[in-house]
Amino acid sequence: MDKILAKKSLTQWLKKLDGYDIYAPFPQDDTWNYDLVTDPAKVSLDYLNTAQAPKKIIFPQREVFLEFARTEDGAPQMTETLPDPAPFIVLGVRPCDAKALTQHDMVFAGEYTDPYYWARRDKSVLVGLGCATPPSPNCFCPTVDGSPHSKQGLDILLTDMGANYYVEALTKKGEKLLGAAKTLFKPPTPKDKQTKEKVVKDAAKKIQRQIKNLAEVPPKLKGMFESELWDQEAMSCLRCGICTYLCPTCHCFDISDEVKNAGAVQGERVRTWDTCQFPDFTMHSSGHNPRSDKASRLRQRIFHKFQYFVENHKTYQCTGCGRCISLCPVGIDIIEVLNKVIDHA
Amino acid sequence: MPDHPYMPKLARIVEVKQEVEGARAIKTFRVQFVDDGFTHQCGQCAMLSVLGKGESMISISSSSLEKEYLQFSIMRVGRVTTAIHEMQEGDLLGVRGPYGNQFPIEKWKGKNLIFIGGGIGLAPIWSVLQTARMQQKNYGDLSLFYGSRTSSDMVYKEELQKLKQEMTVQLSIDVEEPGWDDYVGFVPVNILDKKPSPKNAIAITCGPPIMIKFVIKNLEALGFKDDQIFTTVENKMKCGIGKCGRCNIGLHYVCKDGPVYSWAELKNLPQEY
Repeated sequence: MDKILAKKSLTQWLKKLDGYDIYAPFPQDDTWNYDLVTDPAKVSLDYLNTAQAPKKIIFPQREVFLEFARTEDGAPQMTETLPDPAPFIVLGVRPCDAKALTQHDMVFAGEYTDPYYWARRDKSVLVGLGCATPPSPNCFCPTVDGSPHSKQGLDILLTDMGANYYVEALTKKGEKLLGAAKTLFKPPTPKDKQTKEKVVKDAAKKIQRQIKNLAEVPPKLKGMFESELWDQEAMSCLRCGICTYLCPTCHCFDISDEVKNAGAVQGERVRTWDTCQFPDFTMHSSGHNPRSDKASRLRQRIFHKFQYFVENHKTYQCTGCGRCISLCPVGIDIIEVLNKVIDHA
Repeated sequence: MPDHPYMPKLARIVEVKQEVEGARAIKTFRVQFVDDGFTHQCGQCAMLSVLGKGESMISISSSSLEKEYLQFSIMRVGRVTTAIHEMQEGDLLGVRGPYGNQFPIEKWKGKNLIFIGGGIGLAPIWSVLQTARMQQKNYGDLSLFYGSRTSSDMVYKEELQKLKQEMTVQLSIDVEEPGWDDYVGFVPVNILDKKPSPKNAIAITCGPPIMIKFVIKNLEALGFKDDQIFTTVENKMKCGIGKCGRCNIGLHYVCKDGPVYSWAELKNLPQEY
């Protein structure tokens, strides 16, 4: 279902969306970040991209798995804390970040489904905003099978046409949001469609960076496990983990117990994001560590995204957002690493 | 209590046995589920939890034929295992699982089985060893090579003495001790010394990663083929269901796709474990 929404009508639309919590990007310090909308009039989609991907709304950095306590007689009591959120809208999701959530879906489904993830995910409606201008000089979505106006994973895609948004409802969930404010949405004219096509086409041309031929990477990596490249590329790594922290696709986590008081045991079992870039991520209690040096950890990050995930899920575990490149304090550049893999003898 | 993958079930400790004293203390715990529990296959693991301390993945060392209890032999090395060591008979432990694949023991019928363990690494193959001896008529000769740093570091000391009545048991310690009549030297070297025959045989090994690597190398030298060698791998684990991302060897998550591998399978994965 295609419609036109005047930008000035955005607030009115949001006001009509009863029964939903709405998350939207807001300026925060020098960046933009997702937050809960309290006043729709303050929502502006005039941003490049959020510093952190919206994955944190569905897969929070810290979440409580269960609350526990020990009774007087010592018996452990556990109370499950499955979230039960109201349906919620994530507004202005960039296509790369929406595609990343489809990869989370693959991880958290399968043989075992993750009830905490799906409790939120099933309630989410993703309203995407295509990238008429690349949000970052390090954007490279086309070379990882994406595009600045990819619809993958989205319920609605908004395309910025200046004074208007071209609105495409892609799922039933998306159509429902348009149905809530029917009078605001006009049918597109043939000219609107042409304009939209031009925006989409021009946007793809504006992407500055690319991986030479990514299809070569997964088979090539298989023979490069012992390559010296990993030592060379990881030399400057500070093992800060910002690459995985900001990555919209990274899903690795820790589970630990947090005790609240010093007396009778009472506390929470929590899931927190973790990173393959930390040495203790894989360290056995004996001290043995299969990935004890930073070269093996950088290799794991590259292999997981471009070899193991491809074999297990038939897609690259990278959507080309460029955050890990822009924010790495020592300039480790995943595009350059992959291009070196392609050029490797 | 809701049934989902992260929710432990409560199990009561019904027996505690001190196997090894000192800095590398090992205790064996037998537990029974308070309400409904689960059945397991030989080779599988379970995530044990002590509320307030956390969780640890431990191999189930009792046979799948044993329905009365689950057995875990645990070395005291970290926060969780120390807390478990402090627990007594009657205390409640959280248990979730079972996780992972199993030893393909059905395919080993009629074959000679050679078990090779090092240190606490005897525990993960103890389940399948027990199943084999309980169903001895299904298999050929059973034998066990087992070594530890010192004689006091050995687990299942009494059971090993009894086992000597049933099968060949080759014990070894790393350095000479007064009164030790069995082999002195590392397990892989004992294998080369005793030369078990690869004919119609399956070798099953677990121990420290370095021991496993040399056991496999020496078994190959004795003529064992890749599909005659099985091992069970350990890695740090948190979720147990292939999601938390840390226990992988290449594209495999050990918690879900392992921990049991033939050398034919394991050698084709990146050698990172």
